[in-house]
Amino acid sequence: MSSDRSPTTFLRLDIVLILSVLGLITIGIAFIYSSGVTSEGVLVSGEWFRQIIWAATGILLMATFALIDYRRWKQWSLPAYGGILLLLAMVLLVGNYVKGARAWIGIGPVGIQPSEFGKLAVIVLLAWWFEYRGRGKDGFRTWLSAIGMTAVPMLLILAQPDLGTAIVYIPIFLAISFAAGVDWRLLLFPLTAGLLMIAGILGYAWSEHIAQSSVSFFLLFTEWRLIRIIVPAILFLALLLGGGWFLFRKRIYLSLLYGYGIIAAAYIGITGAARVLRGYQMMRLVVFLDPQIDPRGAGWHIIQSVTAVGSGGMMGKGFLQGTQSHYRYLPEQSTDFIFSILAEEMGFIGGLLIFGLFTLIIVRALYIAFTSQDRFGTYVAVGISAMIGFHVMQNIGMAIGVMPITGIPLFFLSYGGSSLWMVMMSVGLLLSIHYRRYRN
Amino acid sequence: MTSGEDPSKGGLRGRLFLLGILFIITFLVLLIQLFNLQVVDNLFWEGRAQAVARRSEPLLAQRGLIWDRNLDEPLGMNINSYAVFIVPAEIEPLEPEEIAGRLSSALAVDKEEILRKLPSSWKNSWNPVEIRDGVTYDTIVRLAESKERYPGVGWSGKPYRWYNDSGAISHILGYVGDITTEELQILYNQGYANNASLGKSGIEKAFDILLRGSDGRIFRTVDVRGRDQGEAEEIVPPENGLDIVLTLDRHIQDLAEKALGPRKGAMVVLRPATGEILAMVSYPSYDPNAFTGPGPGSFTSLSLNPDFPFLNRAVQSGYAPASTFKLVVAAGLLGENQVDPAATVDCRGVMRLGNRDFWCHKKSGHGKLDLVGAIENSCNIYFGTMGVENLGIDIISEYARDFGLGSFTGIELDGEVEGTVPGKTWKEEVYNTRWTGGDTLNVSIGQGFLTVTPLQMANVLAAIANDGVIYKPHLLKEVRDTVSGQTIDRTEPEILRVIDKLGPEDWDYLQSSMRGVITEGTGIWAIYTQAVEVAGKTGTGEVGREDQWHDWFVAYGPWKTDDPSERVVVVAMAEASENYDWWAPKATDIVFEGIFADRTYEEVIEEWRRRRVWWSWDNLELPEPGHPFVFPVREEDEEDGDE
Repeated sequence: MSSDRSPTTFLRLDIVLILSVLGLITIGIAFIYSSGVTSEGVLVSGEWFRQIIWAATGILLMATFALIDYRRWKQWSLPAYGGILLLLAMVLLVGNYVKGARAWIGIGPVGIQPSEFGKLAVIVLLAWWFEYRGRGKDGFRTWLSAIGMTAVPMLLILAQPDLGTAIVYIPIFLAISFAAGVDWRLLLFPLTAGLLMIAGILGYAWSEHIAQSSVSFFLLFTEWRLIRIIVPAILFLALLLGGGWFLFRKRIYLSLLYGYGIIAAAYIGITGAARVLRGYQMMRLVVFLDPQIDPRGAGWHIIQSVTAVGSGGMMGKGFLQGTQSHYRYLPEQSTDFIFSILAEEMGFIGGLLIFGLFTLIIVRALYIAFTSQDRFGTYVAVGISAMIGFHVMQNIGMAIGVMPITGIPLFFLSYGGSSLWMVMMSVGLLLSIHYRRYRN
Repeated sequence: MTSGEDPSKGGLRGRLFLLGILFIITFLVLLIQLFNLQVVDNLFWEGRAQAVARRSEPLLAQRGLIWDRNLDEPLGMNINSYAVFIVPAEIEPLEPEEIAGRLSSALAVDKEEILRKLPSSWKNSWNPVEIRDGVTYDTIVRLAESKERYPGVGWSGKPYRWYNDSGAISHILGYVGDITTEELQILYNQGYANNASLGKSGIEKAFDILLRGSDGRIFRTVDVRGRDQGEAEEIVPPENGLDIVLTLDRHIQDLAEKALGPRKGAMVVLRPATGEILAMVSYPSYDPNAFTGPGPGSFTSLSLNPDFPFLNRAVQSGYAPASTFKLVVAAGLLGENQVDPAATVDCRGVMRLGNRDFWCHKKSGHGKLDLVGAIENSCNIYFGTMGVENLGIDIISEYARDFGLGSFTGIELDGEVEGTVPGKTWKEEVYNTRWTGGDTLNVSIGQGFLTVTPLQMANVLAAIANDGVIYKPHLLKEVRDTVSGQTIDRTEPEILRVIDKLGPEDWDYLQSSMRGVITEGTGIWAIYTQAVEVAGKTGTGEVGREDQWHDWFVAYGPWKTDDPSERVVVVAMAEASENYDWWAPKATDIVFEGIFADRTYEEVIEEWRRRRVWWSWDNLELPEPGHPFVFPVREEDEEDGDE
C-alpha cells in the first residue's frame, strides 16, 4: 500500500494549502460580522453565524472529498454532470428569484445554487474527457465535444440570467484545454474572438452612453437593415473559403478562414450582445468606463467600493472602524463586496495578505497538478486553480474598479453556503490528488 | 500515458508554469492598482471618504392616503408633526443638564429621560439623538423664536398616521408601526431603512409598497464628524406614496357595524356581480389611534384580551356553517340529478342511523317535504337522509369545494384561513379513524368537521345569485396618484371559479327556494324590509351547549333583477353567547333596509319602531341615536363552547 512509503499520513497532507484555506475562511467570517454592523454599532445581521455553520460543514465536506480516492470521479463524472444539468433545468422552471435571477432551488429558507456546483462538475467532466480521449489524432473533435460540454450548463445559467457565473466557465475550459495540450491555434481563436468581442461591446457602450455623438461605426451592429446584409455575406464568404480548402487543399485557405473567422465570430457576438444585454447589464458596462455617468444609480457601487478601498490606506482603519462600510451604502457587502470592507479596515497590508494566501493556494494547486500520478488529477487541479484564480481576479478587480460589476463571490471570504461548499469540495479534491500522488 | 516518465511531462511542466506566471502577473497588476488606490492616492480617497462619508440623510416620503369608494373623506391619513432632536456635540457651551432642563419644560418631557438619551461622550458625538416625536407646529415655532437658548437642538417633520374611522374598519385598514429588527433583516435590501415605519396588518401591510413611496435623500458635504461644510446641498426629492381607494362604502360599513352591534361575530357585504366588498365587520375590534396611549385600548392589553380583538372573524376564523350549508347540499342534489326535487321525505322529527338518534330542530316533525319545503323549513331529516343515502360524503365535499369552501378566497388581507372540507382520507389522516355515516349526516346539515369563513359563505351566495359564477372578492378598487388624483391602476372583476354542474333551471330552483325561506319558511319572522326582495337562508349552529348557538344568516337581494350590478350579498354570523338573541337575520334585515332605502342605522331603527316589526320590541331598552343597539351584557363573559 502506498501509505507504507511515507512516514505519516499527516505529512502527506498539503499543510500549506489547508492553512491558507482556513486562514481565508477565518478572515471571511470576521468581515462578514463587520459587514453586519451599522454605523450606530448595532449588529443587524446573523450572517456571520450562519457562515460559521457553512464553514464547519464545508470543512467536513473537504475532509470527505480528501478521503475519497479522486480516481473514482472518473466514473462519477458523467452522472454528476447529468445531475447538475437536471438541477439547472429545474432551477429555470421552479427556482426562486433572488436579485432578479432564478438561480436558487430549495425548500423554504434553505436553498442551493446549482450553478456553483456546476463549475466543479464541468471541471471533473472535462478532466475525464481529455484523459479518456488522450492525445489521439482526433484532437479537434475531442476539443469540439469539450466545447459542447462546457456550453450546455453555460447556456442554462445564462438563461437564469446570471452572466457573471456563466463567464467563469470560459477560463476553466481554456485552462484545462491548454493543460491538455490542445493546439494553441485552436485556443487562440476563441481567445482573440472573445477579446475583440469585449472590446467591441465596451466600445458600443461607450458610443451609446458616454460619447457626445454616437459613432456611426457601431451602426453596423445595431441597424437591422445592415445586419440583414452583413450576416448572409459573412456566411457566404465562409462557405467560399471552406469550399476553397476542400477543392484545392491549399493552406492559405485555412489561414484565411482562421483570421476571417475570428472577425466574423466577434461581429456576430457583438451584434447578439447589443440585442441581448439587458438595460442594467449595459449600464454596468457603461459605469465601468465612467462611474460618474450615473453616480447615484449604477455607478454607486463602483464609487462607494473604490472610496472605501482607497480610504483604507496602508494600515487600514482597524476592525469595525471603517466609516464607509458601516453606513451600509453597499448592498451585498457580505457577499460580492466583502473585499472592499476588508481593504478599508485592514488596508493595503490586509489586501497583500489576501493576495498572498490566494497565490499560495493557486501555486499549490498547480504544483499538485504537476505531481499528480495521472492526467485526470492534473486536469482537475488545473481547472480548480483556474476557477479560483479567475474568481479572485474578477471579484477583487471589481472592488477596486478595474473590472466591470458581475456578482460573483470571492471564494472562502464571501458569505454564502453554495460557493463555500463547492470550493471546499474542490480543495478536498486537490488534497486527495496530492495524497495519492505516488503511484503504487 | 499517465506516468511521470511520459515524455510529454516536460511539456506539461512548461504549460503549468505558463499558467502560474499568468495568474501571478494578473495578481501583481491588481496589487499595483490596490497600492495606487490605498497608498499613493490615499489622501485623495481619504478626503473623499471624509467629505462623502456622512453625507446623505433621508427625506421622508408622504405615505399615501386610504379612501373608501365615495372618495370624499380619507379613511387613513397623515397628520403633520415634528420630531425634536439634539446634536450632542453642539450643546457647548451649555452643559447637558441645562439644555435638558430647558427642553423638558418646552416639550413636556422628563429631564432625566433626556439625559439618559444623550451619550456619555457627548462632546464628540455628532449623531442626532431624537428627544421626542409628535411635537406640534406651535411648539416648534416657540423653539425657533428663541433658537439661541437651545444650542444643538433641531427638528424635522415626522408625520404620523391617523385613521378617521376606527372600530371594525381597523380590521381592514390595519395599522402602521416602526420596523423591527427581524423585519429589517428581511427587508433591508428592499430599501427599508432602520428607522422606517411600515404597514403591520390589513391594507396598510398588503399595499405597503404602493403606500410608502420612496424616501428622498439630501446629500450634504459634511466632514467625518458630521459637521456641515456649507457647500451646496444636492436633493433627491422623495417620491410620495400612492393613494389606495377601497371598494368599501363607509356608510354601509358603519351601517353593518352598528347592525351587528356588540356581538362577537362578523358581517360581510359583497357585490356579487364584481366581487367588490362593500363592508366587512368583525367584532370585537380595536382603535389603532389609541395604541400608544395607556388603558384598555393600548396595544399590549388588546393583545392579551381573551376575545382576540385583533382577529378578523370574517376571514381569519372558521365556523360551522350550520344550515346555510344545506344550500350547497341542495346544489349537489340538483347538479347530480339523482333525486326528483318533487320527491318527498317524511320528517317525523327523528331519524335513526346505526344505533344513534338524530333529531330535527322541530322535534314534532315537519311531515312530508320536497326539496323546496326542506330548504324553506331547514329540515335536518330531509338533508340528512339525502346526504347519507343519495349523495355521500365524496359528492358533498366535491360540491363544497366547487363553491370555494376549503380554499382561500385570495382576498388581499393576510392571515386568511381556508376552513375545512372534511372527507374520508382527511379524517383518516387527522383523526386516524374511519369515516362513518354519522359524519356524513353531520356534514349534510353543516355540522361536524366542516368549517367555513363568513367571506366564503358570501362567495357561496354570490355563486347562487350569479348562476354559478364567483368573482374574486377584493378590497382594492383603484390606485391613484396623490397629487393629480389620476387613476394609475384599477382592479378589474376577475372570475374566481365557475360552477358548471348546474343548469339555469337548477339555479332558478335554488333562488326561488331561498325566496321561499323569507316568504314562507324560517325567515318569515325576521326579514321585514320592504325596500328590496331578499332571498336567504338561516343557520343555527350547535356548539354543544343548551341555549347557545352560532347564528348565521346569508342572503342576497334583489332576488330577481334585470340589473345584476345592483345586487348585494349580505352574510351575518354571530358567535354563540350567553345572551343568544337570534340576531343574525335581524342584522341582515337592517343592512338591506339601510342600503336599498338609503337609510342610516338610526333611521332604520326609527322606522322599525314606528312599524313595531319586532314584537319583543317593547321589552327592550331603546338605543340612543348614534349608538349601537345594546343588550344588557353580563359582567363575566364565559368562554364560548366552540365545538
